[in-house]
Amino acid sequence: MTPFRIMAATLAVAATLGSTGTACAEEFTVGVQIPLTGAMARSGTGMAEGIQTAVELFNKGNARHKIKLITVDDESNPAKAVAAVEKLTSQGVVALVGGFGSNIIGPASDAANKQNLVYMTAGGVDNGLTQRGYKTFFRINNTQGYERAVTQLFEEQGVKSVSIVHSTKEATADLAKDMQKALAPKGIKVVLHPFDPAITDFKPIINKIKLQDKPEVILMSAYENDYVGIIRAAKVLKPEIKAMVGVWSLATSKMWKDFPDLMPNITGTSLLPSPVDYKQPEGKLFAETYKKLFNKDVDYLAQFGYVKAQLLFEAIARAADNGSLKKGGLADELRKTNKETLIGRVQFDVNGDNLNFRHRMGQHQDGKIVIVSPKAEATGPIVWPGLPW
Amino acid sequence: MFELILQALYSGLLVGGVYALIALGLALTFGTMRVINLAHGELVLLAAYMAYVVESRLQLNPVFAVPLAVLVACTCSALVYLLVDRIRKNRELNSLMLTFAIGIIITNAVLLIFSGDVRSTGSPFMQDAVQLGPLFSMKSELGAFVVSLVLVLALWQWLSRSWYGRAVRAVSSNRDAAKLMGINPAKTELISFIVAGALAACAGVALYSSSVVHPPLGHALTVKAFIITVLAGVGSVPGVLAAALLLGVTEAMTVTLWSSALQELVGMTLFLVVLLVLPNGLFGSAKRRG
Repeated sequence: MTPFRIMAATLAVAATLGSTGTACAEEFTVGVQIPLTGAMARSGTGMAEGIQTAVELFNKGNARHKIKLITVDDESNPAKAVAAVEKLTSQGVVALVGGFGSNIIGPASDAANKQNLVYMTAGGVDNGLTQRGYKTFFRINNTQGYERAVTQLFEEQGVKSVSIVHSTKEATADLAKDMQKALAPKGIKVVLHPFDPAITDFKPIINKIKLQDKPEVILMSAYENDYVGIIRAAKVLKPEIKAMVGVWSLATSKMWKDFPDLMPNITGTSLLPSPVDYKQPEGKLFAETYKKLFNKDVDYLAQFGYVKAQLLFEAIARAADNGSLKKGGLADELRKTNKETLIGRVQFDVNGDNLNFRHRMGQHQDGKIVIVSPKAEATGPIVWPGLPW
Repeated sequence: MFELILQALYSGLLVGGVYALIALGLALTFGTMRVINLAHGELVLLAAYMAYVVESRLQLNPVFAVPLAVLVACTCSALVYLLVDRIRKNRELNSLMLTFAIGIIITNAVLLIFSGDVRSTGSPFMQDAVQLGPLFSMKSELGAFVVSLVLVLALWQWLSRSWYGRAVRAVSSNRDAAKLMGINPAKTELISFIVAGALAACAGVALYSSSVVHPPLGHALTVKAFIITVLAGVGSVPGVLAAALLLGVTEAMTVTLWSSALQELVGMTLFLVVLLVLPNGLFGSAKRRG
């Protein structure tokens, strides 16, 4: 969905609310600071769609409270994200939701914290974000959740050596280092290969891995454009490995659709199998509403956007009901969250981090994403060894 | 270790070939008009998306997108020239701002039309591995390298042998003297922009075929092209190839011998060192004529 369509959909949702809202419903304005253009546009757009779906469902299910969104595109730029937060604050929003990229969420949530405004996100997993001691910052996912999922997969498959190819961006570098710390005590040999986000030719790195490291697995901590380059380089050089594993944005139906030749047997973090098969009624309702609004199937970005917005809206309603919203009580209400959501149970610690976040691992198999780890939650067997070539 | 270094040299040369292809157009307009077209990377990007359109909609190999890419990139390049030509004061500085703004407009237009998704060829033929002894590459990389060599040679010949090419050099050297010789500077500059557009089109198709493209890429391409143009020395076409190959090999060797995280840093250090030692670039003339 293009940024233009996002804006159009926002207007449509707003218009629907205007026509269906009851006279006694109290309306709360929530600010969305999110990248709809720039380097993070795809991820930001996906999250924004999930947030809009949450608004649609919340307003339908709540007679006494209505949520209105004001969306500002931060253009994937930290300075503009701060300006967006300041603009939204001046427009009287009760809280902020959104952001993508730890380097953008950092300064944006700084600005929100100065205004004592709650900032809820699912787009920044950098450890530093929750080490600032802010009472206003909340996130539903974190590096540890990704780390646990990948570590469990490696344990289940008895992996002995891993080469980690990671971007030097904050979140990806953090995850790579955390993975190294987590795997080393388990006797798994780890070699790190950091790369500058600007590079496009990965053959020299893969060749080093092939000739020097000789690992069982290549783990990629990177983004979509990097994955394509890394897997292509591996397909050309064909190192003797058992699997290629990645983290976010890899085990998605979109990647299969765009790069069907590169994806077979590639494994990545994935909360959802594809095609999506929600068991719980809430999930089914979310998928139906999302399809109705955006004419496509849900993906993990939309799901994260939906869950974070849903938790925030419910906390706003609770705070409004007990009269603490205007006295800065929203953060306390969020901290009381203990709810089973589409991404699992969410509870926040004192720093606003989700205590229970844990990912799953999905594998591309014949155009589908099969959940392969943890074994207890698997929707199908893993292909191991399994490579695209 | 020998095998590693050999592959790094080979990969560096291939990447350098693509860099040269990207930089040629910018070098031409910079050399002729002293205008740094900061929208050049976006023209390359636009051409790459034309290759995506042809592949995804018509199910054709991206190579067949060259005519469409040339048409689109040349038209845009000509429009850029027509806008730059309207600048009456302080053209070198104001054209920077103008072309930078055009670049932003093109990037956002691409984003609106094609979304922020990563695009690259799905053609197995382009991605097939080619093995030359111990050296590996994709067919598309080797193809882009050959195209780059051919275009450098063609541009060099055009500038030195053809009437229009000589006219371009004459306008570049001394606009007033060129006018006295019966050359129409505006027409000549327009031609150089159109040729730059055609070169950007070839670069875009090559990029789409051998790498990945996404909307924010244009700016990074412009920066890379600018570094190579300055490294080469303004007005030197063979210099562009040499500088691009040098940069490509330096980057690949950095990855192999040190760390890939240092690749861009070492590339920029090379750029600064060359400028410090040779302020006119590797192949730039010591004195500017005219």
